[in-house]
Amino acid sequence: MLNSQLPWLTSSWKVSYALTGSAVLSRGNPALEAALTGGPGFGELSAIILLPLIASLAIPVLPDNRGRTVRWYALGVGLADLCLMVFAFWQQYDLQNSAFQLVESYPWVPQLGLNWSVAVDGLSLPLVLLTGLLNTLAILAAWRVTHKPRLFYFLMLVMYTAQLGVFVAQDILLFFLMWEIELVPVYLLISIWGGQKRLYAATKFIIYTAAGSVFILVAALAMAFYGDTVTFDITALGLKQYPLVLELLVYAGFLIAFGVKLPIFPLHTWLPDAHSEASAPVSMILAGVLLKMGGYGLIRINVDMLSNAHVYFAPVIAILGVVNIIYGALAAFAQDNLKRRLAYSSIAHMGFVLIGIASFTDLGISGAVLQMVSHGLIAASLFFLSGVAYERTHTLVMEKMGGLAQTMPKAFALFTAAAMASLALPGMSGFVGELTVFLGIATSDAYSSSFKFVVVMLAAIGVILTPIYLLSMLRQVFYGEDNSGIIIEEYLGDARPREILITLCLLVPIVGIGLYPKLATQTYDVKTEAVATHVRHVLPVIAKQQPSTLYARTLIAPAVASSNASESNAISTR
Amino acid sequence: MDFANLAAQLNAGTILPEGIVITTLMVVLVGDLIVGRSASRWLPYAAIAGLLSATAALYFQWDNVSPISFLGAFNSDDLSIVFRGIIALSAAVTILMSIRYVEQSGTALAEFIAILLSATLGGMFLSGANELVMIFISLETLSISSYLLTGYTKRDPRSNEAALKYLLIGASSTAVFLYGVSLLYGLSGGKTQLDAIAAGIANNSAGQSLGLVIALVFAIAGIAFKISAAPFHQWTPDVYEGSPTPVVAFLSVGSKAAGFALAIRLLTTAFPLVTEEWRFVFTALAVLSMVLGNVVALAQSSMKRMLAYSSIAQAGFIMIGLIAGTDAGYASMVFYLLVYLFMNLGGFICVILFSLRTGTDQISEYSGLYQKDPLLTLCLSICLLSLGGIPPLAGFFGKIYLFWAGWQAEQYGLVLLGLITTVISIYYYIRVVRMMVVKEPQEMSAAVKNYPEISWNLPGMRPLQVGLVLTLVATSLAGILSNPLFTLANNSIVRTPMLQPAVVSREVGQ
Repeated sequence: MLNSQLPWLTSSWKVSYALTGSAVLSRGNPALEAALTGGPGFGELSAIILLPLIASLAIPVLPDNRGRTVRWYALGVGLADLCLMVFAFWQQYDLQNSAFQLVESYPWVPQLGLNWSVAVDGLSLPLVLLTGLLNTLAILAAWRVTHKPRLFYFLMLVMYTAQLGVFVAQDILLFFLMWEIELVPVYLLISIWGGQKRLYAATKFIIYTAAGSVFILVAALAMAFYGDTVTFDITALGLKQYPLVLELLVYAGFLIAFGVKLPIFPLHTWLPDAHSEASAPVSMILAGVLLKMGGYGLIRINVDMLSNAHVYFAPVIAILGVVNIIYGALAAFAQDNLKRRLAYSSIAHMGFVLIGIASFTDLGISGAVLQMVSHGLIAASLFFLSGVAYERTHTLVMEKMGGLAQTMPKAFALFTAAAMASLALPGMSGFVGELTVFLGIATSDAYSSSFKFVVVMLAAIGVILTPIYLLSMLRQVFYGEDNSGIIIEEYLGDARPREILITLCLLVPIVGIGLYPKLATQTYDVKTEAVATHVRHVLPVIAKQQPSTLYARTLIAPAVASSNASESNAISTR
Repeated sequence: MDFANLAAQLNAGTILPEGIVITTLMVVLVGDLIVGRSASRWLPYAAIAGLLSATAALYFQWDNVSPISFLGAFNSDDLSIVFRGIIALSAAVTILMSIRYVEQSGTALAEFIAILLSATLGGMFLSGANELVMIFISLETLSISSYLLTGYTKRDPRSNEAALKYLLIGASSTAVFLYGVSLLYGLSGGKTQLDAIAAGIANNSAGQSLGLVIALVFAIAGIAFKISAAPFHQWTPDVYEGSPTPVVAFLSVGSKAAGFALAIRLLTTAFPLVTEEWRFVFTALAVLSMVLGNVVALAQSSMKRMLAYSSIAQAGFIMIGLIAGTDAGYASMVFYLLVYLFMNLGGFICVILFSLRTGTDQISEYSGLYQKDPLLTLCLSICLLSLGGIPPLAGFFGKIYLFWAGWQAEQYGLVLLGLITTVISIYYYIRVVRMMVVKEPQEMSAAVKNYPEISWNLPGMRPLQVGLVLTLVATSLAGILSNPLFTLANNSIVRTPMLQPAVVSREVGQ
């Protein structure tokens, strides 16, 4: 399906994989051979997750030279972890396999059934790499943090571990634990190094997220204790058969928890505050990685594990996605604070993830993942650049800025590039992501054509609104009269090499994915296809069984015949 | 009855740990009497050594084949061993933190330790008491010592007020408890041993009588007073605020643990006929405690009052395990009390240290402490976050286990309420962390601005430091490396015959 519709999305990874694989094999290292042939994990993944946490414990005792040693140390840890993950995935990850790889499972608290079980598959891999990249860059972006540097880098590294843990946990209790670990570091990072209203923003963040995560635990307990065996293993939980009512309730619980994080429309109000009050490196991670935890959870748990309920909720999610897009775009337009505008644009972009998730097609889910990766890169670069501007002008109010292009041409060029990526200029990753989502929902045979038409139309309106607010932002900040009252700090001047390097590290993958999307899609295609197949498998069954519940009748029932047909096609072509 | 038979019936070896505590108590009293004031240099360490060797003796009593002793008055089963260990350890840590505090308040240390040891003794006997008279005597030993302790700083009017309040409310609750227990004695036909009472009541077919329910309610009132469950909590904030802080630390952990030990033993052994009723009463108590404790704690401006309400809320969480009534439920109580021992005592050590250095315990006075005293900030933050259930600290695992057990026992509403109130509790715990860590140097409170030079060399500061580091390490690691603690908690329940009626009857049946 993917091949036939978007031939440029896929090409022959197999060749290059075979080449590298044989090259490594030919060295004759038995351990690596065993690893390549799919042997059990050797602890690499645990090492990747725990390295930042363990390294963070040394920070209080490091000899310090006004924060200089600490920042080099933190950067070193970030880079080492990034290298470690690239190396481990390069050596051991089979892109053609949709199952969990690098699996590790050790009992942690057997009395509870809590296992330290971690693994990566197509859904986790791109997000783990994104986490590694963004955290390393965020540490580099925080080079000028001179206020309590030890605490800052300590919290950054703890947060690093928590993010990785969320993306690789295969035990839902471990997932919850990692999800909760991240709360306090983010709270402190916002409330110590944030802007004017940082305490309000941080408190709002922690209350929202903590209240949301209650639902994860309740839903996890409900699933774990259902049936004969008590297990928290995500795969085992996915295999259990739940009564529909329970599944719907559990689904709703997860939807609230992940909806707070993603965020989904009525639960989003913490986000503009938190993102705009946090300092630039922190908002890079907030927008770049933490939002993806919500999207990841939705795909991993709601779609893949609770497929029956997903059939009922999918139309709701699609509608919420549209609301996110339109509302986010309109609200962004009304902001006069640079980072608040970017924050609302994040809400709009996450709407596409929701639509992709709701599409029931492999293209749509693949688009949702691509949109998450791409938004992670784009939002991080935009937030970083607004931090660059803030360091020099000490304001984020767009009216007070203006004419910055003359004094800061390099920063202007980079900002423009990132904004173009965000408004989905062809050739940038944002375009591919949104296009794939559009194709996914448009080709979906699960919905009636009028529903699809409305969703696509409204989402397209959102796409038109995006350039309006982003271009007007560029105009206000960089063009126009040089407003009086703004003093560019002389000693800073235009973007420094470090700042250019960070932005380029983000822009290169953005353009790379934009020109050759397979760079990103090959990492998860097999998995998203498997997820989509799994969900579509349930679709006709539910539609037949329950022709009159919820949204199923109007939206799904007409499509039964065609979805059956495509299902049989898919099977016969295999 | 010949001597050998009598010795076997007495089985006095089971109270060896208590014997060690009594010997220590004697050493402290006599040592103080003979050596005089200068004895305070080694007395506290002798007391700690005694308590630790009592704990070691408890370890060797584990899995005792014949736990019943003193003609059935005392039951040294694994459950009681765990609780006695918790109480002894909490007393040991309390002594660590009290040396400097008591000396600074200008009162005699040896007497303080002696009274604390007798309170410990009462608590330990209460944990294993298997007979009504024994229960009452040990309860009174614990209570009267506690009254004395709360009024120990006799020149401080607030301490006197706290002692008077505690005494009056405590005495009346003891009277109520005694009344309930006497009803039990009558209903069972004159039995005092707990299992005989249950059998007696069943024989007299007084199972569903109103008398039994009244006895139950009155007994619960006495227990609820000890564990400070709402609505029997009124004494807690005032007593916590007025009493010497080490005493509060002991009351919040040691005395509470003894109360829970009594609750488990009394309710499961003597009231098996009204299980539904006592679960219902405790559900009400748990709901009230969790809601009231957590919500009122939000509004507190004094650290000790906040910890008082927090301890009410924590009692509410622990009651979930009791209501669950399963092996996992009781085990989760034991586990939570074990980690609560470290995190709550750690919190109190920090509060003591701060008030020793600045003379205040207002939450707002903690602003900007991070700049002046990072270790204290770290320890207090870790302990408070652990109380709030933030992973990967010990409290998170404790709470998870309680909720896990509650859910397993189908107490869905309670677990949900527990989770929601946990979110509320995060707010007030993190408020203190925010005060200490987030505030800028210019926002520092007056107390912190005049913060004295940190010096651990003053007399009595070393033990505080040791206690601080110990509880800090335990609170951070007891969660991650919690396996031994989980095993301990589970074994203490599984190997206690009293809690395994189903297993016993099955074995008898075969």
